[in-house]
Amino acid sequence: MTLSQTHVRVTVALSGWLALAATALPGASPARWIPVLLFVTLGPGFALLYPQPGTLRPGARLEALALVAPLSLSFGALMSTCLFLVHGFSATAFLISLAAFSTVACAFPGLPLPAATRGAVERTKRAKPGAGR
Amino acid sequence: MQQRVPTPVQGSKQQPPDGPAGEQTADAPTKGARRWSRPDLIQPQILFTWLPLVIATALWVYSLPHIDYRHMDDWGLLDQLPAAFYLSLAVLTGGFVVSLRRAGTAPWWPGLYSVALLFALKAPTAILYNSVRYPWSSKHDAVVNHLLANQELRPGVPLSGNMAAYDQWPGFFTLNAGLVRAFGVDTAASYLNWASLFYGVVLIPVLVLIYRTFAEDWRLVWTGVWIFEVANWVGQDYFSPQGMALILDLAVLAVVFRHFVRPGAAGELRSRANLDPAAASIPPPTTGRQRAVCIAILAPLIAAINFTHQLTPVMLCVALFALNLTRRYRNPGLLVVTAVIMLIWDVTMGRPLFVETLASLKESVGNLLNNSRAGYAGELTGPGPVLQGRADVVMVLVIAGLAAVAVVLRRKLVKSALPLLLVSIAPVPLFAVNDYGGEMLFRVYLFGLPGAAFFAAAALVPAAAGQGKGRIRPVVRRRVAAVALPLVLVLLVAGFIPAYYGKERMYYTPPAETAMVTKVLDNAPKGSMILAVTGSFPQALHRYDQLEHWYVAEQEEPQNAIMLRDPVGYLEPQLPKDGRPVYFVLTRTQDFYTAGEGLLPAGGFAELKAKLEASPKFRVIDGNAYGTVLQYVAPRPG
Repeated sequence: MTLSQTHVRVTVALSGWLALAATALPGASPARWIPVLLFVTLGPGFALLYPQPGTLRPGARLEALALVAPLSLSFGALMSTCLFLVHGFSATAFLISLAAFSTVACAFPGLPLPAATRGAVERTKRAKPGAGR
Repeated sequence: MQQRVPTPVQGSKQQPPDGPAGEQTADAPTKGARRWSRPDLIQPQILFTWLPLVIATALWVYSLPHIDYRHMDDWGLLDQLPAAFYLSLAVLTGGFVVSLRRAGTAPWWPGLYSVALLFALKAPTAILYNSVRYPWSSKHDAVVNHLLANQELRPGVPLSGNMAAYDQWPGFFTLNAGLVRAFGVDTAASYLNWASLFYGVVLIPVLVLIYRTFAEDWRLVWTGVWIFEVANWVGQDYFSPQGMALILDLAVLAVVFRHFVRPGAAGELRSRANLDPAAASIPPPTTGRQRAVCIAILAPLIAAINFTHQLTPVMLCVALFALNLTRRYRNPGLLVVTAVIMLIWDVTMGRPLFVETLASLKESVGNLLNNSRAGYAGELTGPGPVLQGRADVVMVLVIAGLAAVAVVLRRKLVKSALPLLLVSIAPVPLFAVNDYGGEMLFRVYLFGLPGAAFFAAAALVPAAAGQGKGRIRPVVRRRVAAVALPLVLVLLVAGFIPAYYGKERMYYTPPAETAMVTKVLDNAPKGSMILAVTGSFPQALHRYDQLEHWYVAEQEEPQNAIMLRDPVGYLEPQLPKDGRPVYFVLTRTQDFYTAGEGLLPAGGFAELKAKLEASPKFRVIDGNAYGTVLQYVAPRPG
C-alpha cells in the first residue's frame, strides 16, 4: 500500500468522526454544516470506491467520481430510515453509523466494478460476426 | 497516439486495446504530457476559452442585486431579470461553444462552462430569495418536521390528503431529518432553495459517465449535458424525493450500461469500423458471476431508490425491461432483483398506497388522454404563465425534433447507443397506466430527458472531419453545424428562461404570508379542518398530521364554476358537523396560482373571497396584505 493510499484511507475514515465532532459546535455555523454536508454527500461512497488499484481500466476514475455521491446519499437514506424504523433516530446515531460504516469500508480496497478491472471476459477474443443490438 | 491533438475525435478503425478509447486519452496522460508548462493566456484560442467565462461571471454577479423578485407582476421573473443577466447567459453560451473546439484535449473547459450554466440559471433564486421557493417545497419541509416531531415512521396511519405516503417512502425525508439535526438548523427551509444546485452538481458527473459510455467525443458529451440542463425546465429538481431518486436511478443505469454487457452480444459493434466516429467502443463484456457481484453492489442503490420514491422504482424496472429487449443487455436476473426489491417495499412499508393505486388502476389504465394531462388542466392565464406553457411545449418539440434528426441521420451512433434510446422512451407507455396525480407528463419527460439530450446533441455536433458517410458532404455538414450549434444552444437557453421563470410569481412565497399561515395553523386546535382554494401556498401542510385539509378548487373545472356561484352553499354541506373548528385560509400565492393555472376564471379568487367575507357563516379572524383567514361559524345545534 502506498503512502497516498494510506492517506486517502485515514482521511476518509476520519472525515466521519470529524463531521460528528463538528455537531458539537453551537448553532448552524459553516464550521458545523460544511463538514457534515461533505461527509454525508461524499464520505461513505468515497470509502467504498477508493483507493482504486492502479491496474484499473481507463475511465474507472470517472466512474468512481460519478458514483461517490449517489452511493453516499443511498447509504445516508438507508441508514437514517433504518434508525427511524428501530426508533433509534438522532443526529448522533445517524452520523456515528455512517462514520463507522465508512471507517470499516476504508480498511478494504476500493470496490472495482467488474468491467473496470482487467479481468473482463472476451477482451482478447475475436468478436463473433453477427448482429448485436 | 491519440491524445493531445486538437481534433476531439479520431475514429480509429482498430479496436482499442482497453475499451473506450476516449477514456484512455483522458485518463492516461503520457510522461510528456505531465510536463506542465504555463499556458499562454492571451493566445487567441486560449483567450477565447477563459475570457467569456470571466465576462459572463462579472455580468451575472452585477445583475444579481438588480433582480427585483419582490415586485413580480404577470410576467413572473422574466421582466425582473436585467439585461446584464441575459447577456451573461449569451456570453456563457458563446464561451461554451468556443471551448468545445478544444474539448478533445481540454474537456474540463466545457465542463466548467456547464457547471457555470447550472449556477447562472438556478442560483439566483437560491441566493436572493428570503423565503422558500415553490410552495410545495414547504410541504416536504413539513414532512421532515413531522418525522422529527414523531421520531418514528407511521406508514399505516391514514392522513388527510394522502400524506401518509411520505411515511411509506421516507428515505429522502429521514436523510434530511438527519441533516437538519446535524447542521443545527431549525428546519430544512434554511437550505432547501439550494436543492436544485446540489442535485445539478451531483448529477453532472453521472450524466457524463452515461454519455461517455456511448460517446468518445467530448464535444458530444458536454453538449448533451448542456442541453440536459437547459431542457430541465420541468422543475422536479427542487427539494423533493424525486430529484434525489432520479440521480440514484441514473447511477444504477450508468453501472448497468458499463458493466452488464453480455459476452458475445456486441457482435459487429466490437469493430470500430462499424461505429460512428464519435461513438465509444462497446464496454467489455462481463461474466455471469461478475454481473451477480455487480448486482450485489447495486442493491443498496436500488434499495435506496425504493426507500425514497414510489414512482422511480417503476421507471427503473421499465428501463431495465427495455434493456432486456436487447441482446447486449439481456440480464433478467437484474430485472428480477430490482422488481423483487420494489415489491417487497410496496407490500410492506408502502402497502396502503400500493393497494389503493392497484385498485384505481381499473379506472386509469388505458385512459391515455386523462393520464397525460398536466394537473387539473385549467387554461393558463396571464402573460407569464401562458408564455411559460408555450415555451415548455416548444422546448419539448425542439429537443424531440433534434433527437429525431440524430436518430435518422446518425444510424451508427443510434446502433451503439440504442440502450440509451430505449431507456429514454421506455417510460412513455406509463401514460397508459396512471396519471400520477396529474404529474405523469412531467415525470415521463424527466426520465426521458437524459437520452433525449444526448441524441439532440448528436444532431448538432457533427462527426469528425472526413468521417461518416451520407448524402451530405462532411464539409457542408460541418458548416451547417458551425451555425446550427451556437444558434440552437442560444435559443434553448433563451427558451429556458420563460419555461422556468414565467410562473415565478406562483413560486415565490412572501415571508409575511408564510408567517400568517404558520400562525393560524399553529393555533388551530388538533383535528381542525383547514380550507384553502388550492394547496399551493407556503406552509400549507404545516402540522399536517394533526389537521385535516380541503383544497376546494383542486377539482374538475366545471365544479369550480358551480362553487363560485354560491361558495358557502357549495361548501357548507361538506364541512364537519361535530364542532371541530374550520378555517378558510386565502392567500396571495393561492390567488396567483389559481388564476395562472386557470383553476378559477379571471377575478374568481377575489369573487370567492368577497362572497365568503360577506357571508354570516364565515368571520374574518386575521388578515394582512398577503392574505385573509376566516373561521366558519357553525350553526348552533337544534
